[in-house]
Formats: sequence, C-alpha cells, structure tokens
Amino acid sequence: MTAMSETIFHTKDLTKVYRSGAQEVHALRGVDFQAVRGEFIVILGPSGSGKSTFLNIVGGLDTATAGEAWFEDHQLTALDERGLTQYRRDHVGFVFQFYNLVPSLTARENVALVTEIARRPMSPEDALALVSLTERRDHFPAQLSGGEQQRVAIARAIAKNPEVLLCDEPTGALDSATGIKVLEALTQVNRTIGATTLVITHNAAIREIADRVLRFADGRIVEETVNATKKSPAEVSW
Amino acid sequence: MVISPLRLKVLRDLRRLWAQVLAIALVLAAGVATLILGNGAYSSLYETRARYYDDYRFADVFADVTRAPRALLGDIREIDNVLAAEARIVKLALLDMPAMAEPGTMFLVSLPEEGDRGLNLLHLRQGRLPDQQSTREVVVSEGFAAAHRLRPGAPLTVLMNGQRHNLLVTGIALSPEFIYALGPGEMMPDPRRFGIAWLPRPALEAAFDLDGAFSNVVLKLAPGASVDRTIEALDRLTAPYGGAGAVARKDQISHAFLDAELKQLSAMVKVLPPIFLLVAAMLVNITLSRLITLEREQIGLLKAIGYSSRAIAQHYVEFVLAIAALGIVIGISAGVWLGVGLAQLYARFFSFPFLIFTRDPQIYGLAAAVTVAAAVAGALLAVRVAVALPPAVAMSPPAPADYRARMGAFRRLFALRQTRVMVTRHLFRWPLRTASGTFGVAMAVAILVASLWSFGSINHMIDVTFTRAERHDALVAFGAPEPARALFAARQMPGVLAAEPFRAVAVRISHRALSRKLSIMGKPETPILSRVLAPDLRPMAMPEEGLILSEALADALDARPGDLVTVEFLEGTRRTVTLPVSGLSLGYVGLGAAMEITALNRAMGEGALISGVALQIDKTGQEAFYAAAKTTPKTGFVAVTALTVARFKETLAENITVMITVYVGLAAIIAVGVVYNFSRIALSEQGRELASLRVLGFTRGEVSGILFGELATVVLLAQPFGWLVGYVIAFGMVEAFSSDLYRVPFVIGPEVYVTASLVVCAAALASAWAIRGRINRLDMVEVLKTRE
Repeated sequence: MTAMSETIFHTKDLTKVYRSGAQEVHALRGVDFQAVRGEFIVILGPSGSGKSTFLNIVGGLDTATAGEAWFEDHQLTALDERGLTQYRRDHVGFVFQFYNLVPSLTARENVALVTEIARRPMSPEDALALVSLTERRDHFPAQLSGGEQQRVAIARAIAKNPEVLLCDEPTGALDSATGIKVLEALTQVNRTIGATTLVITHNAAIREIADRVLRFADGRIVEETVNATKKSPAEVSW
Repeated sequence: MVISPLRLKVLRDLRRLWAQVLAIALVLAAGVATLILGNGAYSSLYETRARYYDDYRFADVFADVTRAPRALLGDIREIDNVLAAEARIVKLALLDMPAMAEPGTMFLVSLPEEGDRGLNLLHLRQGRLPDQQSTREVVVSEGFAAAHRLRPGAPLTVLMNGQRHNLLVTGIALSPEFIYALGPGEMMPDPRRFGIAWLPRPALEAAFDLDGAFSNVVLKLAPGASVDRTIEALDRLTAPYGGAGAVARKDQISHAFLDAELKQLSAMVKVLPPIFLLVAAMLVNITLSRLITLEREQIGLLKAIGYSSRAIAQHYVEFVLAIAALGIVIGISAGVWLGVGLAQLYARFFSFPFLIFTRDPQIYGLAAAVTVAAAVAGALLAVRVAVALPPAVAMSPPAPADYRARMGAFRRLFALRQTRVMVTRHLFRWPLRTASGTFGVAMAVAILVASLWSFGSINHMIDVTFTRAERHDALVAFGAPEPARALFAARQMPGVLAAEPFRAVAVRISHRALSRKLSIMGKPETPILSRVLAPDLRPMAMPEEGLILSEALADALDARPGDLVTVEFLEGTRRTVTLPVSGLSLGYVGLGAAMEITALNRAMGEGALISGVALQIDKTGQEAFYAAAKTTPKTGFVAVTALTVARFKETLAENITVMITVYVGLAAIIAVGVVYNFSRIALSEQGRELASLRVLGFTRGEVSGILFGELATVVLLAQPFGWLVGYVIAFGMVEAFSSDLYRVPFVIGPEVYVTASLVVCAAALASAWAIRGRINRLDMVEVLKTRE
C-alpha cells in the first residue's frame, strides 16, 4: 500500500486574508493539511468557514496570503498565473455546484473539450460510461436533467485522468435521489482512476461515504474524523 | 428636484456601459456629421453660387464669334426674352513672366462697360478698375495674383497676338465666370500658369485688330425663358460672323464643374448617412436586447410591484434617447467642424468672394430627427420583448439556450475542435445577430471600397490619357488655323524632335433628333504623338472617310458604327455634310470625335489647314523651346504634358490625404462600433462558459481565442459582402457622375479591396484588444458559486 499512503497534498500554515477597503476578512487562519493518493475526503463546515477558499487554493484557482500549499513536488503557492493554469490543466478535475457545462456542446463534446487539451486522457466515451451516460452522450445540456448534467460534469472532470478531483457542493442543486446517483458516480470514479477526491458539502450525511472527514470553522480545521468503514452512497439517507 | 428611480437607473446604466454607449453614439454621430456636412456643404455651395451669380449678374448664354460688328449687338438685344446682352472681346494671350520659364496662358476679357448694368461683374478684391481709356491698365484674377505675388502697381508682360505688351496691374478681382478657372488643355486649375486679365476694350481692340467689333457675347435672359430657343436665334445671328454656336450656362466650364461637385455632395448625402444610421439602429437593437435579457428578472420585479409595461418601455427608450442625444451632439459638432474644413477646401478650388456656410436649423433638426428615429426603431424591437413578458415568467431565469444544430458533416469535413464547434454553434444560435454584425462590418468595408476606388481610377485615367493616347510632350495650338507648312516651321523650333499636326473644328453633330456641339479633331492617318484609343486601349488608325466617335458621344447621339451622322461645321465654310461612323473610341474627358486630317479638310471644303501641332521635345532643349513658343506670333496657347500631369497629381495628392483620413475614420468608427459591441455582448453571454474553461485549465490565450474566433468569423464573413456592396455603390457613382464633361473609368484594382479589408481588420483588432483585459479578469471563483 505504499502508493496509497503516498502524500499528494500538504499545506503548512495556509492563510488567506481578503482585503476590501479598510476591512480585512481572514478566510483561512493557518491550515495544516495532508492528503494521500486515492483518498476520498469530505469537507464540512458552515458558510464562511473557509472550506471553499481552501479548495480554491489547492485547486489552483486562488492564491494564498501566507503559508505553503504543495501538490506532489510542486509548490502551488509559488506558481504564477501561467503555472497555476498548467497545474489545473494537467492534474485537477473540478465539479461545480451548477455543473457549468458549455450549452452549445453535447455531453460527449463537453467531455471532449477537456480531453483535447489533456496529456493522457481517456476517451470521452469511456468517461461517460463511467458515469452511466453512454446513452445520453449526444444530448445538449438543455436536454439533460440536473443529475445528468452533473454526471456529465463529473465525466468531464475525470476524463483527463486527474490526480485530484475537487468538488464544491456537487449535490447542492440536486434532490436526494439524483444526488445519490452523482455521489455513486464520484465514488466509482475515485475507485477506478484512484484520484484523490475532495468534496465540499453542507450535507453532513455525506460524511459516511468518505475515508476521512474534515470540519472547517472560522478559517481552521477544527475536527478530523477517519471513517473505519465507508458506506456506499445508496446506504446514505438525507 | 427628485429624480425617479428608473431615471436614476438610466443614468447609472449609461455610466456603467459607457464604452458601448460611446461606440454606438459615435456611429450615430458619423451619420449626423455626414448628413450635416453633406447637406450643409451642398446648400452652402448652392446658395453661395446663387447669390454670387445674382449679385454679379452672371450671364445665361455665352457665344464666341470670330469677329462681329458691334452693330449686331442691337439685333441680339431684340431676341425674345433677352434682358441684357454684352459684346466683349475675349482672347488668349501668352504670359511672359520673368520668374517662369514654362509657358502660361492669360485669358483676356474686356471689362464690362456699363458699370453695374453690365454682365459678369467683377468683385474687386484690391486696388481699382482700369481707366476705360487706358491701354496699359489691367485687373487680374485673385488666384493668379496670389501665385505670382502681384499687387496693384505691379508690372505684367503678356504676348498678345505675338506682340509684347507691358501692362500695369491696377486691381485684383474675382468673377462669377471663373469660379473654377481651368486653363486650355489643362485638367486641373493651375493659377500659376493660367490667369484671367480684364482690360478696357480699347486695349484689346487695338491688340487684336477688332476695332468696332467683338469676339464674344453674353446674354442675360428673362426668368423662365427658353434657353434653347434663345440659343437658336443667337446662332442664326452670329453664324455669318464665325459664330461657333452658343452655350447655355449649364455647359459653361466653371458652372459645369461646380455642378459636378454639387452632384457628388448630394450623392454622398444619399449614401453615407443611411449606412451609419442603419448600422447604429442595428447596434442599438443588439445591445439593448442583451441588456434586457440580463435585466429580465428586474423587469419582472418592476412589473410585479406595479410598474406598467409602458413605463418599462419608456425606461429603455429613454436609455436609447440618451445615446441618440450624445450622438447628435458629437455629430453636430463634428459636422460643423468638418464643414468649416470643407469650406476652406472649396475656397482653394473655387474662387468665391464670400462663402455662405448655411446654419439652417432645418438641417440640424432633420439630422436630429432622423437619428432619433433610427435609434428608437432599433430599440423598439428589443423593448417589445421586455414588455411582453408576464411578471412571473420574467422573474424566473430564462430557459437555457437550446442548441440542436448537429453539423455532423461540416465537423467531419473540417475536423473541428470543440472550441471551434462552440464558436460555430454560437454564431448559428443567434443568426440575426451574426447577420447584423456581419452587415455592420461589411458596411465599413463598403464605405472604403466605394471611396478608395476613385484614386485608382483617376490614376488609370491619367495613365491611359498621357502614356497611351496623348504621348506628346507639348501641344501648341495656333490662334487661328494655319497652312500646313506651319508644321515644318514647328519642326524647326529649338528642342523639337518630332511634330504631328492636328486640326480642331467646331461642329454640331446630329443623329436622328439628338445633337451635340463639340470639336472634331483631325489627325494623321496613323497618329503617333496624339493617338485615339479603342475601348480595349489599342491605338486606332484614322479611317479614310468616316468619323470615330468617343463612346460618350456615341451614347449621347445614340449612334453606332455604320450609322450616318450629320456634321454641321461651325467655322470656315460652315458646310453641312453627312459622314459615316467608322468606329468608337475611349474618352474620359468631354465628348470627342476624330477624323483623318485631310478627310476633314476635304469635308470642310478647305485647303490643307492645321490648328496646331503635337510635339516631342528633347529634354535638354526644353527651355529654348519654351522661349521660342512664346514669341511665335501664331501661338494661341502651349500645353506642356508634364506640367499638366504634375499639377493634376499634386492636386490629387493634396486631397487624397484628407479624403482618405476622413473615409478611413468613418469606416473605423463603424468597424469599432460593431466589433466592440459585438464582442462585449458575446463576452457577456459567454463569460460564464469562458471562466469555467479557465477553471478546467484553458489558458487565457485559449479562452480569448474562442471569443476572438467568433469575432474573426464575423469580420471575415463580412469582407466579400463588403467588397460587393462597395463595388455596387462605386458602380452607381460612376453611372451617376458620368456626364458630357467627363466619364470616370470604372477600375477597382485588388489593392482597393485589400486596403479596405486591412483597415477594417485593424479596427476590429483594436476593438478586440480593448476587451482583452476583461477576458483576462474573468472571475473563476465566482462562476463556481453562482447560477447564471
């Protein structure tokens, strides 16, 4: 299990301060964090606790005010805009609350959008098969349900075979039955391609499908729980 | 004062969208400016000319005779509807300026004798009129005086009838007869080498041996009188005295050139402002449509809390009216400013004693009304959608854009990347907007094609005329026809390498009910120095018998090769003969007819006479030739090809920069207005998608590429359409401007299309560059958190 225990992310004293005029908002107050390859982590916390800011910094979408964030041997906090773009392009898959699909492209084409620029992608068809959407691949977003759109977004995120899959409220806009399907797709992908998966949610019930659960409050990790046994999404109820 | 919340919203929207507002306002302003400039210049020029003619009693009919007794004037005054008639002596003289080696011509006119009751009165700028009894005193035209720095008191030497006369300038003046003063054999006014001098009659009588006689008569007619009937009567009276046929004011050179200018201005008013206003209406429409889409929920909310559809419609119309008002203010200022510039340009070309720049409130009112109408028309379509929505529907977000286009074959054919597919589908999703954008950019291209082509055409005309047809270095026209041996004398002149005779005879050519007055040129069988070209530019040999008509003349007479035309000689024996049309020739300036010279003399029933010689001159002998040509008594005037062409090119070069700047500016305003608004709207619609792509790892360049790809497609699609529209406008202009005076060849070289496209593409690039910053600042974090 050496590969499994290999550290893929670590942060040291990660701090983020937003300044708006004379006001300072401390979004992160020195976060120390580690994740190993293939881990499925759920991040919980109230609004404004800093969990999204944290995800954005480790995802290369935002920069830290102080502290360090590392992905493998890349120091993310030292990369410039170009470096961060390259990092996102090569290593990170994102899933958003509102899917953010391109409305003018079909499901397959939305996935192909990413595979065209990725270094070692799977085929769009394989990615859609992983989320059980082979049948719907030629439909445009406007012709798909919310759950289907989110599964397309997951397929798009994993089609590049990313080392990291970052999901910010992936079930936030969905009803529970559809949400379960999406979570099943996420766990399935986590197992199949071994991407380290970080899922932000408001929904505490989801914690049970994770390897590890972090709780954010006031810009810090205030609680860390390791699940001895993971549940499958179908077993979770909310 | 309390401003209503909706009005405050208008003000804040204007501030927030200032760049788009300004871009649209500038397009509207260009429409207003061209409308004011065109209409203003037209009425300025028209009214200035009318007032000038009126105040200075410009004649209605002009006739040359060889020599008519002054007693004839009484008969002429008896013609019906003739209010005034003045007998004058009008002759050409050669200039003898110490500082000018090249030949120059002075147009001599006897002074009006009846004071304020005379015709073609002078407007004295400086000094005084000559004493009526003086044989030395002279008034000269202002342009000529300025070119030679002459002031009252300055000496002036001219060669009249081969004799040197030392004159004294007493005054500097203008005349309605010479607003546009074109020298004989010239293509552009050149005040250095051509001037007008007004002398007391006795001086001219003595110099030209015209005691008690006149060589020119001008008539003023009663308003509404038939000019044609008067001319007929006058021609009958003058025929025995060498009358070459009278001309109406419309054919008087100076007047006809002014008319041509007026015609161009009115064409400009018909073409340019509608283009700008149409494009502006379209911009208002697409911009407002997008604004309304973005504000859909606000509209629903306003309706829900009780605002009427009318109030909401009014709100958006107010927004558009504010843009129109800005456009009108900028347009009027620019129009007035350009108007002053144009007036100065007119002042250089046309000699007016005053220039009335019309500030007719009607013109401004019209411009403002048309602009508001265009803007509101563009807005109404967009606003209709907004007010039609029930509040509950408006408050919920619009359904996602539904794309269904497959374009499978198209994609396979071009192996499109997904980003290209996005571009293509987005363009097809909004066909009307894509078409509007394409149309707008195409109009920018069209304006350039329709304006830039003329320079190439003019160059072509110059090239054809002076390197293929008129290949002589100089042309000497005799004061009166000379026996053929004058040719040998010409060959003996210093510097002359070769000489070719020509005969010019004033005629009236008729075919069926159509007739035209012009000069037939008699040329050697195979002319070398002064050739006639066929429409395919091949030199033509002179036929043994028949006539060669220029295409313009053939059109005017509805005559074709093989037809017989009646030729009435208006000088010499004044015979009337019937001649066959043997061929058609190319001709850009005036109406032309050519014959073999001996055939012409035979038809006239005269011996071997020549009117002048076309010469080839040795460059090193040029100065000697100039000196000799001046002092030869036979010389009527000398035209030097190189000087004519140089002056023409010089004048063109003076205007070309101004014209190109104006047209490039106008085209750039359209191109920037369209491309900037189009890209802002595309960015507003796709900002979220593009930010999502940035999150997925697309670089700034790749993301910009998607938006710019869409712009580039629109700009490229617009090019051929713009070329076509420009071609059609240019063709229409050629047709509209073709007259007996000149015909512009319709030549559009590839460089015209290339220049037009380059200018428009550069303007498009600049606009794209302006929104690059916005693309780079796309907020990636924001799109993760918000629903559209």
